Amino acid sequence: MLTLVGVSHRTASLDVRDRLTFRPAEAVRALELLRDRHGVREGVMLSTCNRTEVYVVEGEADAVPAVWAQLSERLGQDASAFGYVRRDREAATHLFRVASGLDSLVLGEAQIHGQVRDAWEACRAQSSAVLNRLFQTSLLVAGRVRSETVVGHGAASVSSAAVQLAKQIFGSLRGIRAMVFGAGEMADLALECLVAEGVQASVVANRTYDRAVELAARHGGRAMTLDDAWTELAQVDLLLSSTAAPQPIVTADRVRPALARRGDRPLCVLDIAVPRDVEPAVGRLDNVFLYDLDDLQRVVSANIERRKAELPRAEALIADEVERFWQWIAGLEAVPVLTEFRARMEAVRDAEVADALRRMPDLTAEQRAAVERLARSLTNKFMHEPSVRLRAAAANGRGLGIVDAVRYLFALDQGAGRTAGAAAPEAGRGEPRTDDRG
Amino acid sequence: MIAIAHFAAITLYLAAAALAATPLARPMNAPYRGVVGVLAAGVAVHAASLAMFARAGGHVIISGLGPSLSLAGLLLALTLVVVELIAREVSLTLVAAPLAALPTIFANIVGFTPAREPSGVQGAWLAAHIALSFIGIAAFGTAAAAGLVYLVERRQLKTRRFGALFRLFPPLATLDRVNHVAAVAGWLALTFGVVLAVSYAFEYHQMQVAQLAWGVAAWVGVSTVALGRVTRGWQARRAAILSSVSFAAVVLLYVALRVAGPVVGRFH
Repeated sequence: MLTLVGVSHRTASLDVRDRLTFRPAEAVRALELLRDRHGVREGVMLSTCNRTEVYVVEGEADAVPAVWAQLSERLGQDASAFGYVRRDREAATHLFRVASGLDSLVLGEAQIHGQVRDAWEACRAQSSAVLNRLFQTSLLVAGRVRSETVVGHGAASVSSAAVQLAKQIFGSLRGIRAMVFGAGEMADLALECLVAEGVQASVVANRTYDRAVELAARHGGRAMTLDDAWTELAQVDLLLSSTAAPQPIVTADRVRPALARRGDRPLCVLDIAVPRDVEPAVGRLDNVFLYDLDDLQRVVSANIERRKAELPRAEALIADEVERFWQWIAGLEAVPVLTEFRARMEAVRDAEVADALRRMPDLTAEQRAAVERLARSLTNKFMHEPSVRLRAAAANGRGLGIVDAVRYLFALDQGAGRTAGAAAPEAGRGEPRTDDRG
Repeated sequence: MIAIAHFAAITLYLAAAALAATPLARPMNAPYRGVVGVLAAGVAVHAASLAMFARAGGHVIISGLGPSLSLAGLLLALTLVVVELIAREVSLTLVAAPLAALPTIFANIVGFTPAREPSGVQGAWLAAHIALSFIGIAAFGTAAAAGLVYLVERRQLKTRRFGALFRLFPPLATLDRVNHVAAVAGWLALTFGVVLAVSYAFEYHQMQVAQLAWGVAAWVGVSTVALGRVTRGWQARRAAILSSVSFAAVVLLYVALRVAGPVVGRFH
């Protein structure tokens, strides 16, 4: 059975999640223990700052108590009080949603895709056919959600909204020259975001020169005092302002002379200070595009709303992929049953033919061969239609119930036992169990 | 058959524009391949119908009002496909595809009656002039479309409206670049087209004042934009306004000369 045991930002506080974070090597060790002591066939642990989830294909025993025991030991208290269990289709659906960013703190965020891939890579030694297929599919699903819906589109943070707006003006930000007013944490963070997109930090100006030097050294620009920086305004394309000044320091009168020397080139002004550094009149100047924190927040809100509106499409896509994954599982289940079914029928045939031939010792070699041919032909004919239908049923997703029926009708589960099917989870028998304690 | 093929091309152009407008109705990106594919299909059908016309009548396709208008539409649509393939951006389709459909619709209304063609050197001269002029007008139209979209997008950005239009249109820098390249290309083609027209008029004593006046007006319009951009460094809003206003003026002048045809003389 495919089972997921986990905690996430939806069910546990940051403190609990912090304590339940596993490094890759620790995750592998935990999965080895589950395999060695509790008969778990396959396992992958996904541990990020927002979730710790253990995906397992169980053996004969229920692995859930063992996983909770492990997590509780690490937490120092009962971890099941903060978590959830998902089984079979629900476990697959959950992983597909997680990889697509639908279960993330910020809807549609892209980082989780890489984290799922890394978790799978780190636990490759502990995963096999089912989990490999599950994780591979989850990454493909995430790719589809990203490309076929807009769940991951648009900025979802103030810094990335600043980047989005600047890109809407300049296209690529590579080589765009920026001037920064202020050297505080906000300025640092926003500048880092812009520099990552290729913006060149030309000037860092601050009331205190030493702080400007520090920030300029980190991002590769020139440090200046605020009073000296105005002459440089004509040379830059983007002004990022984040000082602690009590009143606007960037006024229309200050900007106008610089604009006169800039020709028609647009100037993007990002005012992320509270209270504002840039007076509203600056935004009315020709070729100046002014945005303050409220504007950036509105961009974020609009994007989040847009992402939410796309959820039904993303969920439908995921449901489709879960169905396809489950058909594959059903196929996995059908193959060993078919093999066993055929072996059982052939064994019965051989025994009956041998018995019949024993009772007819006077038959010539040709007659014996004819009897054997007849038996083989009859067996093949009897088995042909059920085999074809079983394969078809497995392929169209109705396989698991029929596979179980065949196993029951022909007493296959009382024979030598399942062979190749040992790898597959015993899924699809009735409704999947869900035990969400969150 | 030719009229039906033209109707199909018009439908495809308008369908491409509708596809490009999907982000206005739903929170999704315009289907790039879909838009370019439908537009390219329109161009293919359009080109095939003009080729059919030329083959059936043994005419050069650019003689006569209907065929000329149709060719103008085709060249504009073709330019649009090329620009969109290079820029990997389909929002221009919203403006430029209807702009290509318009002369094609007029061509269908006017009908496909070829004019009497000169032959030999004179015929080649005339064909070169008309072809270059149409290419120039198509490029000028593309510059104007980019300029118009620039102005709309700029307004969204200035007024801080972050709705569907804001997401639909490409960055201002991309639109400005398209405007620049199209204006310069249009100026080059129209310059050669007008030079060929003037020299043709003198050489063969065929001066059509209205036609010449319109050609020169179009050349002045595109020259203002292109030379302003190249020599004076005009860009962004100024170039966008200039290109859209001057192209609109050229179109209006064309309509006016058509309406006043009986007074000012024959005008194609």
